[in-house]
Order: sequence, then structure tokens, then C-alpha cells
Amino acid sequence: MILGDLLDTPVRGPADERLGYVVDVRLVLDGPLVGPLAAPRLHGLLVSPRTGTSFLGYERTGVRSPALVARWLRWRHRGTFLVHWQDVAAVEPGAVRLRDGYRQISPDLPGRPSQRPDLHPAT
Amino acid sequence: MKRVLGVALGILTAIGGFLDIGDMVTNAVVGSRFGLSLAWVVVVGVIGICLFASMSGRVAAVSGRATFEIIRERLGPRAAGANLTASFLINLLTLTAEVGGIALALQLASSVEPRLWIPVAALALWLVVWRAKFSIMENVTGLVGLTLVVFAVAVFLLGPDWNELADQALSPTVPAAEGHAVYWYYAIALFGAAMTPYEVFFFSSGAVEERWTVKDLAQSRMNVLVGFPLGGILSVAIAACAAIVFLPAGIEVSSLSQIVLPVALAGGKLALAVVIVGIVAATFGAALETSLSSGYTLAQFMGWSWGKFRRPAQAARFHLTMIVCILVAGAVLMTSVDPIKITEFSVVFSAIALPLTYLPILIVANDPEYMGEHVNGRATNALALVYLVIIVTASVAAIPLMIATGAGS
Repeated sequence: MILGDLLDTPVRGPADERLGYVVDVRLVLDGPLVGPLAAPRLHGLLVSPRTGTSFLGYERTGVRSPALVARWLRWRHRGTFLVHWQDVAAVEPGAVRLRDGYRQISPDLPGRPSQRPDLHPAT
Repeated sequence: MKRVLGVALGILTAIGGFLDIGDMVTNAVVGSRFGLSLAWVVVVGVIGICLFASMSGRVAAVSGRATFEIIRERLGPRAAGANLTASFLINLLTLTAEVGGIALALQLASSVEPRLWIPVAALALWLVVWRAKFSIMENVTGLVGLTLVVFAVAVFLLGPDWNELADQALSPTVPAAEGHAVYWYYAIALFGAAMTPYEVFFFSSGAVEERWTVKDLAQSRMNVLVGFPLGGILSVAIAACAAIVFLPAGIEVSSLSQIVLPVALAGGKLALAVVIVGIVAATFGAALETSLSSGYTLAQFMGWSWGKFRRPAQAARFHLTMIVCILVAGAVLMTSVDPIKITEFSVVFSAIALPLTYLPILIVANDPEYMGEHVNGRATNALALVYLVIIVTASVAAIPLMIATGAGS
């Protein structure tokens, strides 16, 4: 399977309900070392409820500028969530099916510690 | 002292590098038909290219990534591929126009048919792209291109009615002989000539070629913010020359010899020789920039190694792309198609393709993961959003206006 097979594919829940489209995948580097880098592992799929078009990177961070573009993209992709790859039951031609009890996770990337206020309790 | 010289050199190069065949032809045609009543578009275009070039230069200096690497990363392979196809073809059209401009200018100097000059121009282009150092190539063509200042001198020598010129420029009206649709069509053409996408591909890739870092940001900003507006003044001078000589006589500019005629009238043979040198340098410089841009865009999209800082053997596909593009441009011109007509189309298509490159750069210039503390400030973003609206409007309006006006005829 290549990434192109997944992108834009409709996503259906366990009861065959429409959930949206795959707009991106998220990889993590936590496998065994291959050369200087850890081997990438498929962590999950980003699912946008209304459109298969690109989110242009705004799903990852709290960036809100330039205002017009950010607001438009966030509105187009409102309700976007991340599902773990383990929650995917099957990838069929034309549909990705999620298993029972799948979880919808926030698509935000945890920032570097210096950018995360929750790791810096007020002193 | 060395720093001051560096800044001065950068600014002078930017002035000479700003003008290309698109600016010269469009400004002269517009000047002969509309006087200075579209000079305001040059101002809008120059502010736009300053904004766009400084943003893409900053992104390249801070993140080390050139424009098409970012487009590919942000838009994904499919949308970026469509973007590449459009940008690449329009860049090829611009390259064809520039090579044609070199041949026409050499014809003016020698009376030898342009079709005999085209292979010479193409070969010279390839040799420079293959052999010359990036900084030498950029500085020589930019500095020699400065001789186009003679257009500004010619405006004074022609002794125009300054009140009338000021009146045309400051309270623009559509001349009685022209329709509103044609006026706006040429407004878009002028805008596209000032904000040609290749300038940005070249500028951002050039920043990587010259290994800019955050330390060079101030200088690059100076080059753009001083050099481009001065180049814009030369654009307006070309339009003014045509407005003084051709507008009262009701003659529409349609050849390069007409573009230089006001200079010859004002300054005689010597001025004519200087302006031809300037046109050869400006079109040759722009032909180099568009040749390199064809290699940059394709190589950056495909992930090939690219850049003149590598030896050709280490960036073989990058160099092959440029060779093929130069050959195609030469072959198209050998069919005797009029380079001036190609130029007129290329500037309008440039305006159509502009949003494709502008939006990704704007978004990445706001992304702290790439830019750290060098993200766009509020004022830059406010201006950038105004320009986003202008650029999208011009892009959407261009094709209907082209059809409605029969491409401005």
C-alpha cells in the first residue's frame, strides 16, 4: 500500500456511517535504528469530516495567522480528528473502515516543551 | 566598508535585475495607449513583489528551503503537481519571450535576422548556466542592465509637458479611444509583469545558492526594498517615453524598435547604443533566471539535487532540465512567432498563476516550526492579506478579460 491509496479515501465507522475523508497520515519515529534515524511507524490517520482537500499544515499547531487563511481552513476542516492505526479495521478499495470502540483524538501535535504552557506551571 | 559595498552591489543588481522583456514591452505598449494612467498599477505591483520576494527570501534564509520544496511539502504531491505544471509551463513561456528579446535586441544592433541570433543566444545562455559562478552571473547582468537608466534620462531630454504627465498618473482616467475592459486587461498585464513568479523562484533558490542565513536577512531586505522600487521607476520611465512620443500620434507600440525609438529621438545614436546594451543585458539576465527557475522548480518538486553550487555532474537532472527548456524555447522561436506577442501573453499568464506560489509561501512564513521567531509580523500579514485578495482577483479576472477584449486588441 502506498500513501496515495489512503489519501482522499472516505472513512466509515463500525456501523457503516460516514465519518469523512483521510486528509493526511501521521508517522512517528520510534522503530529500531536504521542508519542515523529510527524507522518510521504509521501512528494514525487524520480524518476531516467534509473534505478531502489539504489542511495545509494548520491541523498540527495552534497557528492562527494569517487570519483570513487560517480561519477559512479551520472552518473547512472543522471537526478533524486523528484515529490510531490500530483502530482501523480494514482498508478496502474506496473506503477505510474503523473498528468498534475507535477513539477520536485531537490532531494537535504536542509542541516542544518550551512552547507548552501546561509544562510550565506558574511559579 | 566591505558591507556597504555589498549592500550597494545588491541594490544595483536588484534594479538592473528587476526589468525584463515583460516589463519593457508591457510598459511601452501601455504608455503608447493609455499614457501614464496605469502607472498606479506599477506601484501596486512593486509593493507586491517587495512583499513576496522578501517573504520568500526570509523563508529560504531561515529554513533553508526554496519555494517549490515548500509547495510540495504543504500541498502534497497531487495539488503541488498541478501547481508545478502550470508554473513550469508559464516559466517556459517567459523564457521563450526573454530569448526572443535577446535576439530582437541583437537584431537592432546588427540588422541581422533574429532567427540567426536565436541559436547564438541559446548557446550563450547554456554556456553561462553551465559554467559561470552564480554571483558573477547575477551581478554582471544586473549591473550592465543598469544602463536602462537611459530611459529615465530620455524622459527629461524629451522635454515633456510635466503637468500633463502628472495629471495622467495622479488622476487616472480611461482614454476615450479605449474601453474599460481593455484598460483592466492591461492593468492585469502590468501587474503580472511586475510580479512574475519566476522572480520569486529565482530569489528564494538564489538565497539557498548563496547560503544566506538569518544574519543576511537585513541585507536581503535592503536589496529588495530599495532595488525593486528603483527598478519600478525605470518601468514607469519606459511608459512615460512611449506616452510622450506615441500617445499624441495615436501609434500603438508593437515592436522592440518602437520601444527604443523615444530614446533615440532624445539622445541620438549614443543613447540608442546604450539602451540596446541595456536591453540585451536585461533580457539575457532574465533568460538566465528563467532557465535556472525551470531547473529549480522541477528539481525541488521531484527531490533531485539542484543548484549551481554543485558541479553539473552532481546535479545532472537539474542541468538536463535547463538544457531541454533552452532548446524548446529556441525551437519555438525558430518558427518565426513574434516574441513581443509571446511576452504579452506570458505576463498575463504570470498573473493567472501567481496565487499558486503566493499562498504556500504566505502560510509557511507564518509557521513557527519553520520560521521560529522570524514569522510574519502583524503589519506584514495585514499587507499580505490585502495582496492575497488583489492577486486572487487579478488571477480570476484575467481569462474572462482576455476573451472579452481579444487579448487587449
